[in-house]
Amino acid sequence: MDFSTFGLADIVLSLKATHLANFFAMLIAFSFVMVTFLSRNYKLTKSFYALFLLLSASLFLIVYANDYLLFFIGWEIMSISTYFLLSFSLSKEALHKYIIFAMTSALSIFIAILILYSGTHSFLYADAHRSFAALGDTEGVLFATFMLFGIFVKLGTIGFHYWLVDAYEESQNFFTPFLSAVLSKMGIYALIILTTQVIELSYTLAIIGVITSIIATFKAIQEDSVKRLLAYSSIAQLGYIVTILGVADGMSGALYHALIHTAVKLLLFINIAGIIFITGRGKFSELGGLIYKTPQSFVLLLVGIITLAGMPPLGGFASKFMIYTSLMDAKHLLILAAVMFSSASAFLYIYKLIYGVYLGHPTNKHLESIKEAPWSFLVPQYILALLVIILGTYPALVVPYFNKILQELSLHVVNFSDYATLSSSFAEYNGLVVMSAFGAIFVLVLLLFVSLRSRAKNVKDRFDIAYCGEEPNESTHLHYGFSMGKELKRVGFINTIYKNSVKPFYDYIADQTLSFSDIFKKIYSGNLRNNFSIAVIFATVLLWWSQR
Amino acid sequence: MIILDLLGMFTIAYITGFLYYGLYRNITARFQRRFGPPVWQSFFDSIKFFTKNDSTSHGWMFYLGPIIMMSGAIMTLFFIPFFSSGESFVGLSEYGNLFLVLYLLVLGPLGNALGVGTAGNPFGVMGVTRGLSRLFALEMPFYIAVIAIMSLSGSADIGTIASQQTGLNAIAYPLLFIGALFSFIGMMGQSPFDVVGAPVEVYSGPASEFSGKFLALLMSQSAIFTFAKLVLMVHLFLGGASSFAELLIKTFILFVFVIAFGSMYGRFKTPQSIDFLLKVPTLIAVVGLILATWS
Repeated sequence: MDFSTFGLADIVLSLKATHLANFFAMLIAFSFVMVTFLSRNYKLTKSFYALFLLLSASLFLIVYANDYLLFFIGWEIMSISTYFLLSFSLSKEALHKYIIFAMTSALSIFIAILILYSGTHSFLYADAHRSFAALGDTEGVLFATFMLFGIFVKLGTIGFHYWLVDAYEESQNFFTPFLSAVLSKMGIYALIILTTQVIELSYTLAIIGVITSIIATFKAIQEDSVKRLLAYSSIAQLGYIVTILGVADGMSGALYHALIHTAVKLLLFINIAGIIFITGRGKFSELGGLIYKTPQSFVLLLVGIITLAGMPPLGGFASKFMIYTSLMDAKHLLILAAVMFSSASAFLYIYKLIYGVYLGHPTNKHLESIKEAPWSFLVPQYILALLVIILGTYPALVVPYFNKILQELSLHVVNFSDYATLSSSFAEYNGLVVMSAFGAIFVLVLLLFVSLRSRAKNVKDRFDIAYCGEEPNESTHLHYGFSMGKELKRVGFINTIYKNSVKPFYDYIADQTLSFSDIFKKIYSGNLRNNFSIAVIFATVLLWWSQR
Repeated sequence: MIILDLLGMFTIAYITGFLYYGLYRNITARFQRRFGPPVWQSFFDSIKFFTKNDSTSHGWMFYLGPIIMMSGAIMTLFFIPFFSSGESFVGLSEYGNLFLVLYLLVLGPLGNALGVGTAGNPFGVMGVTRGLSRLFALEMPFYIAVIAIMSLSGSADIGTIASQQTGLNAIAYPLLFIGALFSFIGMMGQSPFDVVGAPVEVYSGPASEFSGKFLALLMSQSAIFTFAKLVLMVHLFLGGASSFAELLIKTFILFVFVIAFGSMYGRFKTPQSIDFLLKVPTLIAVVGLILATWS
């Protein structure tokens, strides 16, 4: 689109279908289809669907935009339509938090874009690098700060995650999978554009990402609400992507992890939505012992958590492998150690997720008459589970496609020999061998074990356990461990994470803003005569300034 | 051919693992001034348990728990070559790498944790909770040391790392070795980091609900897993091995050191062990990493 008829000759708005944009558009479209399966279980109004479609359209606008102006328009529509979508279920406080953060983020990105525009008077991505080079030092730093602030708020990077956890917890169960799987990816997309087209941020990103993932992981361990735990987990997983984007050859790892994270968060949030739908409860302390009531959901969640943990033989390992080897290759050894630390701490909340909901004992009578979740919850989960299993077996299946993206961004391509072998410049592994070896060993051990002459007696009574010679009954507290990780508070540095919160900081900001607005209120008091005179003075000053 | 190779690895690990377990019981007995059981007692015990008829099961996930653990142990074994070079007893190591092995090391215990959780025995879950709370701190020094070693050898292939050592890595990079050794003691379930199983007290720990043939399977996997971990450690720090004699001698020395250490020290509580592991061994390993890779 050309604006020369309006006298804005150098503003060009255009769309461009790059491979990178196609990849993210595919993630959006895929998640959209997966989420719509759920809609038949929720009685949502027409306006909800209209807004949902508007939101999806704005996401496509963001990824296909070829310049920062159109990108910003998409970003703004996304933020506002999300606000209205969230307003269906969020409490007033959470909603206020969301809109303030979203608007600050959008505004800050807008400022950054205008600063960049001052370089070569062009919004195009193609000119962005030149524009940045034309900026002075101060403007350059300001641009990077405003841009990163805007992106980090969207990603919920630690410090800016204040809105995210509440919004995830209280949003419609129908909408949460989409929030986590897709909306957060827009931050990643913006970051990829920023790091590949404009500036390299190297260590800054790597360190911010690692700190985010460690703190979010420990915060997740403490949560009692299932959705809050998953929200923190989402922050931590995005932290890995931010880390890897700060590394020279990290793009393939970032894309791979974005793909896996989209799939796995859809799976987990849809699974939990199903559990909340059939039980009406969303806290670990109110759930438990559902495994034999909802066996399909259990197995699907199991696939999800194995992927989330990055365990072989499923797809999660492939993306973790890419991340680790890229960091190794770039010699960021301590950052790699920190990423592995965060990854190992994640096992705790991952086990809590499956134990608290499905294992142990039911925490109340209500849970003993639960039936399996409806098929509309299970179908998308089966598709997603199949996807991560295929990616586990043939981890290099997406590599040829990633190579196209990497070529387009003129980065080093990943070695590719066959679909089963995922290789980076540092090491390689064969997913097919790992999967089939594990499968064969498992089946062999199972067959040998079943064919033993000795028989195991399956006890139906859940109280029939070895309990120190005592006989537990209904009133015995047996669902031990849904608050696991509490003892971590006794460890000094971990307790520092738990004790500190960003709440006091933002409360302080809010107080200061309120007292500032009090001063403002005295001048702009709502009295009509006062307002009129202020308007006249303002107009006079404006006129004087324009004629100067 | 590869099948024979794998079967050979399995058999050797199975027998050696039980032999080491028998020796462990004897050596700790001598530390406590008593005579231990016959060396093969544990092996016979496991065979006897396999034929026991009255084991209780709590549904299919409980049944699968020990089987996943066994599969995890065997997988770990198969992805670690026995010798630093040569064609025999390499298993599947050419298809994997050290990152994969690091994950396989925790695959089994996590799989079994599901079985433990299904049983609904609070004492079992107590063990799992302790184990998981401690896991990240325990793995940390080991991970740092392994990262440094990988970076120095420029390879994630275990065989290459083992054969590239001119001297022993343990002597060339003592700080890394000491850091990793603390983790290794915990991974072997020895004091002061043995709060997971917590032997001798009221029976708590992941194994508490498993009886009969389930317990036998857990004992067998423990034997195999112990041997696999010892071989990994020998490859990473003690120069690998080129013959069975060398492999057995090196693993045995390491094993005796670990159990001697274990029988000398008391047990840490979970928060204490996290605190200690994150302070002392992790710092040692970080300093080791910086010294080793500074250039």
